[in-house]
Amino acid sequence: MVVPTPVAAAGAAPSQEWIFLNRFAYGPRPGDAQALKQQGIPHWLDEQLRLAAAGTSPGPECQQKLDSAVMRIKYDAGEGWAALDEMRPLRTLDQPVDALWSLNQPDRKLPYQERVRPRLDLAAATVIRAVYDPAQLRQVMTMFWHDHFSVNAADSYTAPALPAYDAALRAHALGNFRDLLEAVATSPAMLIYLNNRSSRGGAANENYARELFELHTLGRDAYLNTQYDRWRDVPGALKGAPEGYIDQDVYEASRAFTGWSIQSGQDLGGYKAPNDGRFTYIESWHDNYQKRVLAAEFDSYQPPQNDGHKVLDLVANHPATAQFICTKMVRSLLGGEPSPELVRAAAATWLDSRQRPDQIARVVRLIALSPQATANWGARPKRPLELVASFARATGIPVTASEPLVGTMDSAGQKLYAWPSPDGHPVADDYWLGAQNMRARWNLALGLAEGWWMPPGLSATAQMGPAAAHSGQAVAFWSDRLLGSPTAVDTAALLGGLSLTADAPPMVDNKTGEFANRRLAAYVAMSPAFQLR
Amino acid sequence: MAFNTGGVRRRDILKTLAAAGALTTMPGLGQLAFAAPGGAQEANGKILVVLFFRGGMDVLNFIGPANDAVYIDARPADLRLLDSGDKAGIALDSGLAQGVDFRLHPEAAALHEIYRQGDLAIVHATGLSNATRSHFEAQELMERGLAEEPKGNGVLGTEGGWVARLLRQMGSNGELVAVSTAGGVPKLLQGYPEALSIPDLRGGFGLPGGPSTQAVLERLYPAGGQPAGFNPNVARGGRVALDAALRLNGALPKGPDGKVLAYQPEHGGAFEGDVGRSLETVARLIRMDAGLKVACVDMGGWDTHEGQAGRFKSLVHQLSGSLATFWNDLSAYHDRITLVTVSEFGRRLRANRSGGTDHGHGSLMMVLGGGVAGGRLLGRWPGLQPQDLDERVDLAVTTDYREVLTSVLKHRMGVGQVDGVFPGFHPGSGDPALFRA
Repeated sequence: MVVPTPVAAAGAAPSQEWIFLNRFAYGPRPGDAQALKQQGIPHWLDEQLRLAAAGTSPGPECQQKLDSAVMRIKYDAGEGWAALDEMRPLRTLDQPVDALWSLNQPDRKLPYQERVRPRLDLAAATVIRAVYDPAQLRQVMTMFWHDHFSVNAADSYTAPALPAYDAALRAHALGNFRDLLEAVATSPAMLIYLNNRSSRGGAANENYARELFELHTLGRDAYLNTQYDRWRDVPGALKGAPEGYIDQDVYEASRAFTGWSIQSGQDLGGYKAPNDGRFTYIESWHDNYQKRVLAAEFDSYQPPQNDGHKVLDLVANHPATAQFICTKMVRSLLGGEPSPELVRAAAATWLDSRQRPDQIARVVRLIALSPQATANWGARPKRPLELVASFARATGIPVTASEPLVGTMDSAGQKLYAWPSPDGHPVADDYWLGAQNMRARWNLALGLAEGWWMPPGLSATAQMGPAAAHSGQAVAFWSDRLLGSPTAVDTAALLGGLSLTADAPPMVDNKTGEFANRRLAAYVAMSPAFQLR
Repeated sequence: MAFNTGGVRRRDILKTLAAAGALTTMPGLGQLAFAAPGGAQEANGKILVVLFFRGGMDVLNFIGPANDAVYIDARPADLRLLDSGDKAGIALDSGLAQGVDFRLHPEAAALHEIYRQGDLAIVHATGLSNATRSHFEAQELMERGLAEEPKGNGVLGTEGGWVARLLRQMGSNGELVAVSTAGGVPKLLQGYPEALSIPDLRGGFGLPGGPSTQAVLERLYPAGGQPAGFNPNVARGGRVALDAALRLNGALPKGPDGKVLAYQPEHGGAFEGDVGRSLETVARLIRMDAGLKVACVDMGGWDTHEGQAGRFKSLVHQLSGSLATFWNDLSAYHDRITLVTVSEFGRRLRANRSGGTDHGHGSLMMVLGGGVAGGRLLGRWPGLQPQDLDERVDLAVTTDYREVLTSVLKHRMGVGQVDGVFPGFHPGSGDPALFRA
């Protein structure tokens, strides 16, 4: 990874509150930063955690937006179905897997667009939630966990299990990690995506077990296979506390999860399982003999699911897990190279709070209250969702469901619920700022302002007052709204590029008024500073 | 190599092997060694395409020893190559190992045609000497041109990707020299800041909002622009994108409606699937003569732990058809192009009970290009007997992946020394004989 080197700020740095709200929320709405300054960050955190603990409902305004949103679905006639072009509500949101399971049945004649609709519904709803859900911190953390426990629901077999998966991650986003891990391990989405649903004794499927260690818990730094190929050689193993894991642990853990499956009409020897996609444990598929994982011995013939639960306990409690996830969380929330002291403190809180229902919230709180929480402004680029939501929140652009908006975020690099490998989106700036992704970012800014996908788009002049009539003031207005200071943007670049003088009325492409003022807002959103958080 | 490790740490064994050159001087390759000294050709105009099979291609389902009893026993019929019947694999006239009937996946007929014509060579049992079975670790090592993660911070010369180091060594710079067809820039190109990501040119590569927007962006992202806040990357990334859009979009042939014309490959064929779209992008860029030196292409979908037979068949079909289309389309450029494939590892010899295969070790590499002494399977076949397997379960690696890449760089890209490209790697004297003298 290329580490950004701290360099002197070119424009004015925004306030601490401004930076904070771009990291622990999807950016400030007008007035939010001032309000935060008055109430203080601890109070804001209390309120956010209270909202998150009160249930997963997003509040009446956001719920209304979700309920009233419609999104186009369109396909040609095919073998067994008629052509269709309609605006449809986001019906699949929060639906349990059994309610959507028929979407992936091969004997049902359905176009791909119908089969993967749950992924598009959720991606569209994610934008609405990022803009309107008052529980902003929970949304931020829900997205963190979606990347951490990434599944690809552009795959039509996984898609019906996605809404319930999202509900599970949301419910545990600030909760207890062991509970979250259990929810993921028994989720049809993960069981399908990493194939554990078909894993049986004899020659177990290693896919889930391997990524459980490497991606979900201990992390790659704790994979010691190159140094050791016998479990007893791993330092600490003979004392029951191995520093890391090797392939033997993966093999054994995959045996422990044999039989963790979904009900998919399997023939289980005289008994046919229901076909509804729900989690099930199939005893006859389980490898019941003794095992050893992370130097802990498992007796043969344990009660149902005991082996798997024991593995989850071992990995959830391992110090490497605390280190790995806290590092990732600090990096994701703050950007840049994580401060070792902060990671150490976060990991200590993580381990101390293992038995608490609000373990994750305690760690997030510690990070949010650290001095690093608002340091190094611009340490990482906004992801496209953050770009879209922060633009909409700062300017009041009304947001609803839009398939082409989701598609443009895709080409800007953020493939919501459709990242093709189980590691989630990359962290490196190089990925987010490549030529293709930058072009798509500019499209996002202009498209949102001009209402390409969600008309009418930005209502500019109405909120600008007298600034609407003077180019210099107009640029300062949007700079203040979008960057937290009237002088943060390179005003000369904007005015010079458009051959405008500060006192003249805004004019772009020979058009004045609303068109020109919208453009100025979009151009500030296309500037380097607005790409950062 | 088979590790018989009775109590000895793997790291020590690797050190010993590396010191003895056991990993780099491959028996069986020396006799085929490329003999002509100074075989380096004029680098000008040479184009390297690196095609990365992400997820770990099951090479034993791509080219396998159809008559090997261990192989037959380890896998159901639909996860191996057969030597008879209507689904029989394509026989490869190879001579790689005495009495072993190597067969190619039946969906790779188009690729076999190129192999038969002699433009394609395949080196079997290639890979990392490192024992990792992690996708992400193995991919990173291969992209950085390493065998193991260097210890200590910032070990000199190992940062970034080997392709970036290659370009720096060649003194290449400028726009459109290095392109990735993935959504972002892969690790292979990290350390080469001008690298472009261009997944698709079918919709053009323009900027939104007309000339005003372009004029503003040019000033917001000036050449050599100041970093914003603590981040130097966004100013640079924006400038690279801007330059690319300005140069590329105008060069794309467009119809009267302003839309980019569909690309018609010469000599027919079709660019299928994502890999086809990527190779079409590379073909367009090559035909633009805009200075392309390296293209990095990803092909995903190879992580087949479950239901492999159908998925693999369709991947091989797309790969074979698209590669053949690419090669036939660019017949006028054959002397300039070399395409090399890699994958982070192969897959477990023994299938699992999900109809799939888990992460393994030994892989293979294909080299396609003018000057390739193709139509042959190269490398050293380690065998599949239990004692021949890596960690007792996987196809062993007998040719370090960098051995093949070194040969490509020396003979096709005019690179004399590879120390700067693959730090710490000492190529064996046995050159894999990939190229005609």
